[in-house]
Amino acid sequence: MKLTYHWWLLAPVLIPAVGCVLLLVLDALLPRLGRSHWAIAAVLLLAGAAAAVPGVLPSADDPRDTLCLPHGGACLYSVDHVGAGLQLAALVSGAVIALLALPIRVPAERAAVQATLLLAATAGATGVVASRDLGSWLVMLELATLPAIALVALRARRAAVDGALALLTTALVSFAITAMGAALWFAATGSALLSGDAVLHAAQDPDSRRILVLAVVFILAGLGFKLSLVPFHAWTPEAFSGASVPIGGFLAVTSKIAALAALLVIFRGVTVLGTSALAAVGVLAAVSMTLGNVMALRERNALRFLAWSTVSQAGWVVLPLAAVSSRAVRSAAAYLMVYALATLVVFAVVTALAHADGRADATDLSSYGGLLRRRPLLAVTLALGLLTLMGLPPAVIGLVAKVAAIGPVAGGRMWILAVIAALNAMLGVAVYLRWLRILFGARKDPEHADALHPLHRILVIVGAAALAVTSIAPQWLLQFVGR
Amino acid sequence: MVAALLVAPLAPIVAGLALVVGDRSARAVSRHTAYIVSLVVTVLALLACVVIAVQRPVLDRQWVPEIGMRLHLAVDGISVPLLLMTAAVGVLVVLHARHEQPEGGTPATFFGCLLLVIGGGIASFLVQDAISFFVAFEVVLVPMWVLIGRFGDRRDARERSRAANTFVLYTVLGSTLMLVGILTMTFAAGTSDFAGLAAHRLPAGQQTAVALILLIGLGIKVPMWPLHSWLPRAHTVAPTAGSMLLAAVLLKMGTYGLVRLVIAPLPDGVQRLAPYVATLAVIGIIWGGLVCLVERSLKRLVAWSSVAHMGFVLLGLMSGTAIGLQAALYANIAHGVISALLFAVVGGLKHRWGSDDLDTVRRSLRDISPRLSLALVIGFAASMGLPGLAGFWGEVLAIFGAWSPGGDRPLGWFRVLAAVASVGAVLAAAYALRVLRIVWQGRAEGGAPPAAEPETDAHGNEWLVAGALSVAAIALGVVPVVLLHTTSDAVTHLMAVTGR
Repeated sequence: MKLTYHWWLLAPVLIPAVGCVLLLVLDALLPRLGRSHWAIAAVLLLAGAAAAVPGVLPSADDPRDTLCLPHGGACLYSVDHVGAGLQLAALVSGAVIALLALPIRVPAERAAVQATLLLAATAGATGVVASRDLGSWLVMLELATLPAIALVALRARRAAVDGALALLTTALVSFAITAMGAALWFAATGSALLSGDAVLHAAQDPDSRRILVLAVVFILAGLGFKLSLVPFHAWTPEAFSGASVPIGGFLAVTSKIAALAALLVIFRGVTVLGTSALAAVGVLAAVSMTLGNVMALRERNALRFLAWSTVSQAGWVVLPLAAVSSRAVRSAAAYLMVYALATLVVFAVVTALAHADGRADATDLSSYGGLLRRRPLLAVTLALGLLTLMGLPPAVIGLVAKVAAIGPVAGGRMWILAVIAALNAMLGVAVYLRWLRILFGARKDPEHADALHPLHRILVIVGAAALAVTSIAPQWLLQFVGR
Repeated sequence: MVAALLVAPLAPIVAGLALVVGDRSARAVSRHTAYIVSLVVTVLALLACVVIAVQRPVLDRQWVPEIGMRLHLAVDGISVPLLLMTAAVGVLVVLHARHEQPEGGTPATFFGCLLLVIGGGIASFLVQDAISFFVAFEVVLVPMWVLIGRFGDRRDARERSRAANTFVLYTVLGSTLMLVGILTMTFAAGTSDFAGLAAHRLPAGQQTAVALILLIGLGIKVPMWPLHSWLPRAHTVAPTAGSMLLAAVLLKMGTYGLVRLVIAPLPDGVQRLAPYVATLAVIGIIWGGLVCLVERSLKRLVAWSSVAHMGFVLLGLMSGTAIGLQAALYANIAHGVISALLFAVVGGLKHRWGSDDLDTVRRSLRDISPRLSLALVIGFAASMGLPGLAGFWGEVLAIFGAWSPGGDRPLGWFRVLAAVASVGAVLAAAYALRVLRIVWQGRAEGGAPPAAEPETDAHGNEWLVAGALSVAAIALGVVPVVLLHTTSDAVTHLMAVTGR
């Protein structure tokens, strides 16, 4: 068997994957490099992002295939516009996380390992976007997950190990469930390819159709763990509050991109199964939004707050997928892009504050009191990020994301789901207003406050600028997921 | 003259953002600078709105194709009066804010938030695209939250934050429900343009469902009984300028949205729901009137009277007749002017008295401040619907429209509603006279002799604002034809479209 290769197309996956080997070699040759490994990782990830850019240009072929079987057979690697956008988002977010982690003091021998793990996980995230067969899909998905567990554990505190353990347990369970789903998929379609034709074929026979629905439900449950959809969310607060702050950001952004990308790969073909399989998505979305918001309403720890916010936002991300609509996939990706940008900005602010004031002062919500007067730059940026997550102007981009997410549901006339979404829009505002009010409220000075690290300052400014620019011209961000 | 379309909403929004952001820099913006900037910008916006009203330019561009949002700015007979009122009240609010700047934050933030609300209001009456309307609708939320939550009544911090949060949460729920309705229609019609939505007819059953969602969503904003409970709370706490904007601009967005998104594109759904909504509207009229008879807080009383007045607007909208629709649009403007006037006067009184409790024994207002008392009399006389003042025409025509409803609406039930609504008008007279007796005339009977109060009449900007609004209230009542003529073409057109 002979496959065709387009190395240039594979570059967004290959650069970080090969990069992590290079990084290990480099660490063996020059053991004293220490934290500059993070810088190298960021450069590699940005190079990967640059390689993904041609795929998102409007002029690019849609989809762009490689690793094709001979004689006009199926292609095992395929990137369409949405996929290229997700790859770009995963790589850029990985690079931002690496830069955020750069100034944080860790034992020298650990930085290389952490940077390598970050590269590996990001490679998995970009790979799962494009994989079109069950084998590489599963491997890439786990490549995106397993290094994240080690990243959480490597903070080497009791809480971090607890969080990593929670993550490990759920990762194993979810892998088992996903693998089961994959097996059922193979049984139903008789093919290891995730192509629409095979699904269409299987859906016509009632027996194999039943197995296929079961397979989709299993896969959905398995991915539910990774997306932290309720009731598969229990690991999220533990892992977020245990991990170091930038790694929490990695779990909230890059891991979510990988999980949604994996879901979209499955979902492209599944719409032929009709509403029965999609109803499950609607229920998961509604429950996740509601529970995440309700729990966040009472949370006092900033990291756990962000974890619950992730749970509810994951509900919003999968909400459009509940509708049979040609726009559903793009809407989900568009919401994910906005969520990723806003969450990354919030994590950048929390990281910068944790580095300057100490972790204890950045993780307690009440210590954000009067931040607007104490550190106006951080406070304004944080406020913009929170406004984006609630979807209120002046952060128009968040509003646009809300429109995109509700669009397919309203278009499909799923009234109940739409009304639940509206109620959750209100709850979400209540959730984020709590934090916003603290920013405006009475000033509370920490015991010792250092200046911001210049790198953190630059990243925060870039984040604020990105939110401001995309609020004026939302299409600049949304065009990455096609039109 | 297309530039005017962009200047009118963007000048206040950009200047407002600049003031709020500039306030965070090392050197705070001085009160004087903030005032001058705000005044110049609002006058500019008003001039632009006048140009728009005369020339009627159109701007139609692609904006965010991913969600089908276009930048389509234009006006017609329905939006012109609202646009002009928003811009004019904007200027007055800035003038008034110079006179009475509440504590709780810096002047630049206060003026900036006022400008953002004004700009958002202007934008929502200019856009001809349902999704952009939703965006403009949301623009005013955060600044209004700041105005209520930070610049509100200093006496009770808990009540302040509760009122601000109730306002935001209710409104977000309402606007998101509105978004659901808009997106359903957009999806079916393939366009989010108001004209396109009105031209596309959904099946009757779906029309009812969408109309229900939209009526609940917009009913929160209007507010419609029983979704009104945020309004008295927000009005009581908000600073005077904020109350004026809330009454004159924010509530009007709700009724305007009803005309554009419910009445025009969903005639069958409205037809089916009209008896229920009209009933709720009349309950609101009576409910508001009864509360006003016993309410002790003067500001809260004016807020409750708003609930009653908006009931008349809703009744007119639901009557399904051209005259009812005209009445609703008229009452809308009249309520904007009257309640802005009343809030300006009542806010001034609260500022002087230190509270707005009607049970406190005070000297009669006509002795202490003749000018304020004149404005108060004009305001409450207009509010009770005295002929020759602004309130009269809208309410009489709304009852008239409900007496002979259009379409297949149940005639008998609407006649009952019209009769009950006229009882509501009597209640309005009763509570208006109650307030005038207590405040204007002063308490004659019982209690300790009132303490001597300093001679504090309205001067300068406060007198200018109250005077201008009083003149407007009289002018609207004496020559209603001007306004009715402006809206009549658009209303006839709308009735022709929906009557199909």
